[in-house]
Amino acid sequence: MSTLTKFSAIPYTGPAPTNREPYVPANADAADARGGELAARFGAVQETRQDLPTLIVETGRLLETLRALKSETFTMPLECFGVDYPNREKRFDVVYQFYSLDKNERVRLKVRVAEDEPVPSGVGIFKGLDWFEREAFDMYGVRFDGHPNLRRILCHEAFQGHPLRKDYDAAQRWICTDKDVAKMIPTIDPRFENVDTDFERVTLNLGPSHPATHGTLRIVATLDGETIIGADQEIGYLHRCFEKMSETHTYQQVIPFTDRLNYMSAIINNVGYCMAVEKLLGIAAPPRAQHIRLILSEFMRIADHLVCIGTNLVDMGALTNFWYLFQPREEIYGLVESCCGARILPSYTRIGGLAVDAPPDFLANAQRLVNSIPKFIDDVEKLVDRNKIFHDRTVGVAPISAADAIDYGFTGPCLRACGVPYDVRKTNPYLGYETYDWDVPVAEGGDTFARYLVRMEEMRQSLRILQQAIDRGLPPGPVIVDDPYIALPPKSKVYNEMESLIYHFKLIMHGIQPPVGETYFQVEGGNGELGFYVVSDGTKNPYRVRSRPPCFAIYQAFGRMITGQTIPDAVAALGSLNIIAGELDR
Amino acid sequence: MQVTRIAPGVVKVSPPKMSIFDRLYLPQVVKGMFVTIRHLLHNLTHYKNLPIISYPEVKRVYSERFRGRHILTTREDGTTRCVACYMCSTACPAECITIEAGEDERTREKFPVRYDIDLLRCVFCGYCVDACPEDAIYMTRDYEMAIDTRARAVVGLRDLVVPPNFPVEPMGWRPYYGSMEKTNWAGGTGGGQPRRSAPFEDDAPPNPDVYRGA
Repeated sequence: MSTLTKFSAIPYTGPAPTNREPYVPANADAADARGGELAARFGAVQETRQDLPTLIVETGRLLETLRALKSETFTMPLECFGVDYPNREKRFDVVYQFYSLDKNERVRLKVRVAEDEPVPSGVGIFKGLDWFEREAFDMYGVRFDGHPNLRRILCHEAFQGHPLRKDYDAAQRWICTDKDVAKMIPTIDPRFENVDTDFERVTLNLGPSHPATHGTLRIVATLDGETIIGADQEIGYLHRCFEKMSETHTYQQVIPFTDRLNYMSAIINNVGYCMAVEKLLGIAAPPRAQHIRLILSEFMRIADHLVCIGTNLVDMGALTNFWYLFQPREEIYGLVESCCGARILPSYTRIGGLAVDAPPDFLANAQRLVNSIPKFIDDVEKLVDRNKIFHDRTVGVAPISAADAIDYGFTGPCLRACGVPYDVRKTNPYLGYETYDWDVPVAEGGDTFARYLVRMEEMRQSLRILQQAIDRGLPPGPVIVDDPYIALPPKSKVYNEMESLIYHFKLIMHGIQPPVGETYFQVEGGNGELGFYVVSDGTKNPYRVRSRPPCFAIYQAFGRMITGQTIPDAVAALGSLNIIAGELDR
Repeated sequence: MQVTRIAPGVVKVSPPKMSIFDRLYLPQVVKGMFVTIRHLLHNLTHYKNLPIISYPEVKRVYSERFRGRHILTTREDGTTRCVACYMCSTACPAECITIEAGEDERTREKFPVRYDIDLLRCVFCGYCVDACPEDAIYMTRDYEMAIDTRARAVVGLRDLVVPPNFPVEPMGWRPYYGSMEKTNWAGGTGGGQPRRSAPFEDDAPPNPDVYRGA
């Protein structure tokens, strides 16, 4: 019914992709106007025709500009990453993105540097740039002057070279032996430096294979008795070169890789990536596809929170909740499987729409799930909400203030638990979220208990959205755009028509070729803002795909959050932050 | 928890007010026991609808879109449909398909001399099925692919090609959706779905070679 409606008898007469003009975003004029204003104020050069106000800053003026941005209410650091243009004299672009909660506005900074040229580090101004700068150093070898701890983050210590440089041969292998494992001795928190105690100071290594870490994370904590007086965390054990692989595969082939970022809510990743490329192509998925994407995204968000709360409670010894919460999760994955044939790694979306239409009983199954999920949430609430043991384990554990959370680049439930009502679905609505009646839940305190409260309420709000989406019904029509340069023709035509067979062949062999340009698109993932920054050079492979993992910004603050707490608190806090190693390490 | 609206579109979740009764640990533990006992009694009286699948005696019914192990289909005359056009291996994001093409001396038709899928590399995304212009590669609902050596993970023509009259019932991801008159779309564990019994009960061998044909 769906895919068969595309490819009318009239042959496609639009321009061939190679003849397309460079990418001009729809909001380019507004972004240019605002960018010009900011450029004049900060004395920077403006880059025009971008989707965000974009400034090009010289390295000498970077810190000054960062300070000015912070005083201009751009308080949240979202991104810092590199892009390599080896043929240019100053080959690296270091791209920063900041968000202003007050004005609901984004700004992008670019610093162009040559290979040996250092960039002043912005960690002193935005704490959240810490790990992002380390990643840019690891991947591109950009040196950040004044960074307190500039060492590799995703690659191991024995790694030679910088993998995301265009001239790096990806076939090389570097062996990591136990000698090369980072010897980490956490710095003692100043609060505890001069405390005289009767206890011996012990350094304890948690992970990378520890049941409480839910993935391969490593935490090194220095203990004074039972109190953590300093902690450091290491990641990279699950690094799978997502960004490097994306550069050697076609746009369509990246979709299965995005499944593995946050494998708890894979469809949200699919949607985020596909919408970023669709933005670059200047198309939108048909309404039916968007509606199915929205329904599955919300189910995935519920599944993500169910797993987070369930495993968090298991870590605290409450196993029953785990069973109550994993039953609806299984059913949600069953619904996803009925759509696309896989439970956890669906790869359901395609650029321009969906792989196939939803099954005929999709809405009926979705309604059955929406009816059944609340009773599981209520049961868990009855079990733990007023339970004193749970309160003792969570209230006041690993708190973070709203100002700190923003400074670290927190997004999602962890930020909302500090009382900041930031949700991409409200601030930058996509898929028609603005047409639904729902609320952003916030809580006070920013501790483990507040994060639990926010997640519980968020599931109920997601159910509200789902009920409205189901009531509206699926709009009729195709589920993928009618453009042979983007979507594969239906099989019935491929088998029987020469023209469709040629389009099919061209699309498989030469891929989708978006116009030259770059764009950023953000969606609200299970853990926060999940952004994709896609750079196209007009060929079939992306020039650069950058994913902004929400966990990355959250986990860098973890060491500070657990300082002064005990090891059982650290375990409870880690579960409540919902760190997904697949997304953290990419 | 209490939910209060503090701004348009923003609600504040406050922790529940703990009474002295709640602070005494035990009453809440007993209250929690009521929840679990309610579940216990419900499960005892509805034991046929337990959300448990006793694998491998009972197996989950997957939808007809399930992306399991691949098969190569054949024409009515028994020859392989595949024409070795390399579309599937080009579309494969995991680069797990290796094809070598040959030519039939009599009909001048191209056909695969070698068609290997490395199941350990395969990510089961279904792109090969979408890419095939010849209706030659399908995926089945077979997900039991345990092997004892890495070499056995590479399946070739001998393992993949099925006879022309291969039944439709075990088929998974393939180019037609909605054309089959099927209503038992899998929707999770509950809902009183029909459950398929284990293959060895109806004499099919329970191993990855179950679809080996020709």
